[in-house]
Amino acid sequence: MKLSSNKHYQAWFKNPWTYVTGAILLSIFQIATIAVADGAWGVTGPFAVWGAWVYQAFGGNVDNWYFFSTEGGRAALNRTFLTDPASVRNLGVVVGALLATLLASQFKFKKIKNLRQVAAAVIGGLLMGYGSRIAFGCNIGALYSGISNLSVSGWVFALFMFAGAFVGSRLLVRYFMQ
Amino acid sequence: MAEYELDCLGEACPIPLVKTENRMKELAVGDTLIVIIDHSCALKNVPEWARKNNHTVEVEETGDSEWEIFIDKSA
Repeated sequence: MKLSSNKHYQAWFKNPWTYVTGAILLSIFQIATIAVADGAWGVTGPFAVWGAWVYQAFGGNVDNWYFFSTEGGRAALNRTFLTDPASVRNLGVVVGALLATLLASQFKFKKIKNLRQVAAAVIGGLLMGYGSRIAFGCNIGALYSGISNLSVSGWVFALFMFAGAFVGSRLLVRYFMQ
Repeated sequence: MAEYELDCLGEACPIPLVKTENRMKELAVGDTLIVIIDHSCALKNVPEWARKNNHTVEVEETGDSEWEIFIDKSA
């Protein structure tokens, strides 16, 4: 019997798990994160720290940047990639996703269809990166961790995220449906 | 009983779903639409949408991260 037609292989590795299963696992792991790492789950915070590390490696100085003037910001700067829980966790997300797609035999380099996709990815990435810094988090750090830790800020974030998603989906239908 | 193809290779969500919805409106009852995708999220939401609208759906894995979704328009 071929592995690809084994029903346990299909259930565990091939078919997508349900949203409920995903939600429960995310909840358990984010509690574990709070328990053993240095705070709530976040994704984009480390990107700013990585940027600062690279900038410092080239002789730059971020000491008087407001973003790194807080105690937490300074502490993150003084760590290294392997001693920073959030950085290692981000690496784990990428490695885990790669592993999952390989186990499902679904790895593929997808071709870029047109320049619009490139433009949207670059502009969207810059906007998300900038936005997540001035909002003190992305949909994980500000929304998910915010709401699950009973912070009102998470709900405020959700409100504006829906407004942004509404505009975004309009733009998507306008520019990507040909 | 005509058969149509909708090439969504390289398209990320939710574009394959929206394109499928639009295209299905143009088809006659009994026609089949073959949606070709390479994004696994479309593998979830396109069949889900079609089944919710009582169409008959069949999915075939044609390669690594490539699928053809057969949708028979039933109403």
